[in-house]
Amino acid sequence: MSVLVASLAFGVISASVLAIASIGFTLQFAVTNVLNLAYAAVMTASAYVAYEVNQAGVVVWVSALVGAAVGATMSYLLNRVVYTPFQRRKASPITLVIVSLGMTLIIEFGTQAFVGGTNVSYTMANGPTLGVGSFVFTGAELGIVAVAVATMIAVHVLIRYTRLGKAMRAAAANRDLARVCGIRTARVVTVTWILSGAVCGLAGVVFGMNAGSFGATSTDIFVVLILAAVFLGGPGEPYGAMVGALVIGLGTEVSAAFIQPDYKDVIAFVILLVMLVARPTGLLGART
Amino acid sequence: MAAFDSVSHLEASGTPGRPGASGTLRGGGSSLSVSSLTAGYDRSPIVHDVSLDVRPGEIVSLVGPNGSGKSTLLKAIVGLVDVMGGRVLLDDADVTGWAPEEIVRAGAGYVPQVDDVFSPLTVRENLEVGGYLLPKGEVAGRIDNVLEVFPQLRRMLTRRAAKLSGGERKMLAMGRVLMLQPALVALDEPTANLAPAVAREVLEGHVRHLADIGTSVLVVEQRARAVLQISDRTYVLGGGRVVMHGSPDVLASSPEFVESFLGGTRA
Ligand SMILES: Nc1ncnc2c1ncn2[C@@H]1O[C@H](COP(=O)(O)OP(=O)(O)O)[C@@H](O)[C@H]1O
Ligand SMILES: [Mg+2]
Repeated sequence: MSVLVASLAFGVISASVLAIASIGFTLQFAVTNVLNLAYAAVMTASAYVAYEVNQAGVVVWVSALVGAAVGATMSYLLNRVVYTPFQRRKASPITLVIVSLGMTLIIEFGTQAFVGGTNVSYTMANGPTLGVGSFVFTGAELGIVAVAVATMIAVHVLIRYTRLGKAMRAAAANRDLARVCGIRTARVVTVTWILSGAVCGLAGVVFGMNAGSFGATSTDIFVVLILAAVFLGGPGEPYGAMVGALVIGLGTEVSAAFIQPDYKDVIAFVILLVMLVARPTGLLGART
Repeated sequence: MAAFDSVSHLEASGTPGRPGASGTLRGGGSSLSVSSLTAGYDRSPIVHDVSLDVRPGEIVSLVGPNGSGKSTLLKAIVGLVDVMGGRVLLDDADVTGWAPEEIVRAGAGYVPQVDDVFSPLTVRENLEVGGYLLPKGEVAGRIDNVLEVFPQLRRMLTRRAAKLSGGERKMLAMGRVLMLQPALVALDEPTANLAPAVAREVLEGHVRHLADIGTSVLVVEQRARAVLQISDRTYVLGGGRVVMHGSPDVLASSPEFVESFLGGTRA
């Protein structure tokens, strides 16, 4: 029983980290049409900069804001310097995926060149804790769950109730039609890179906090979990990504109670594969 | 073909000048003047040297066989396709080469032949996005105005556009374009895939209504006979060029036009 409680609790935390990352990823993909696999490398690079700030004596949550700013800046530049020129030359979507894989390596090696090959850890205060049955959430873990919930609410409010959010959804659904409604889609796309990049940077810091220690290549497997959550929910569907992250996060951690924990990430793919057979458009995708 | 060059001079003199009729939506038509337009995809022109005019409040129709470049011409006018030569004037503004979002801001509206709504968005959200350029306080009122024109949509405001029938979807697409009360509307085959009765409602009801409130209309149609009845003038496109143009009466009395578009001798 207590094993199950613990794995559910770990599941909630994993799902929270994954949800933040997946929401940013799916929003980025939906609006910009770029399946940016370098997202995970931007996460780590942002987490590193936040680490340096944290080591300078800044509280980790404030450092996380710096991480978000780094993620926003890097994502903006990635689009501006790399993806846009390729798109202008009418590169196919698959070409851009390959380019983003290349960028993953470049960013990872770049990060490693700056920080070296060893893993690092944030300095975190213990903060308040919360006991649930036999499981005790640390302050950092509670913070991660809270940030995930806040991110979901913020994205929900953005896409449902704001003019920018509606423009983003319109541009995602039909770029030409959005333009003939007067929407300056190029600007909307740029803003999306910045916003989703900020979420990406935040996800990187939260990932680092949850992992305990992290290095330049720590998100190599995680990017696949993001893809699983995103495609499980239906690519480009922010609500789908939230549900997908919950399913993958809980699924992997709960399964770890029953199987060799080293293999828990494989469970994510089993879930995804079953899903792709049963409902190819994802849980919430293309509800027509 | 030469015989048709003079045809345009035979049309009824003056602008039809329809009264601003009833209804709370008003267009206040613009004139569109396209001269020697050449346009296409990836540097290969599809539309060649096309000139056409739509005067304020007129319904001008564009007919022609499949693949003759009708859709490409409309897209070039609203900026969705590269213009390689010629000019597009909207009233006095030279909008040639402008981005579509800027041409729309100058007063043009466009309903594409396909992908004419935002499928994942609800009917209400489609209308809201249609009113993207309106001041925030005016959107709800304008949606009400549009729903007066398309009362069928009122019952389905929270439905996703993807779930609408073909006819409902076209009503939404036209309602969406009305949100900004454009001075000129370009409609690409508004009756494609619609049942004949619905098609008649669209052409004789809604397209006609646009002109009645003063909007200038450029409409592409497969239903040549039906569209001729509501048109002030008609252009015939073939191989990306204007091959005939004139008033409906004149075209309907051209054996060549009748043969090609009105079902030959049965006309
Ligand atoms: N996106 C596109 N890219 C390249 N060629 C196109 C594209 N769309 C249409 N065409 C070509 O342009 C020509 C005219 O098409 P179109 O304007 O759609 O004709 P119509 O609307 O009169 O049926 C066709 O030969 C078509 O293959
Ligand atoms: Mg067409």
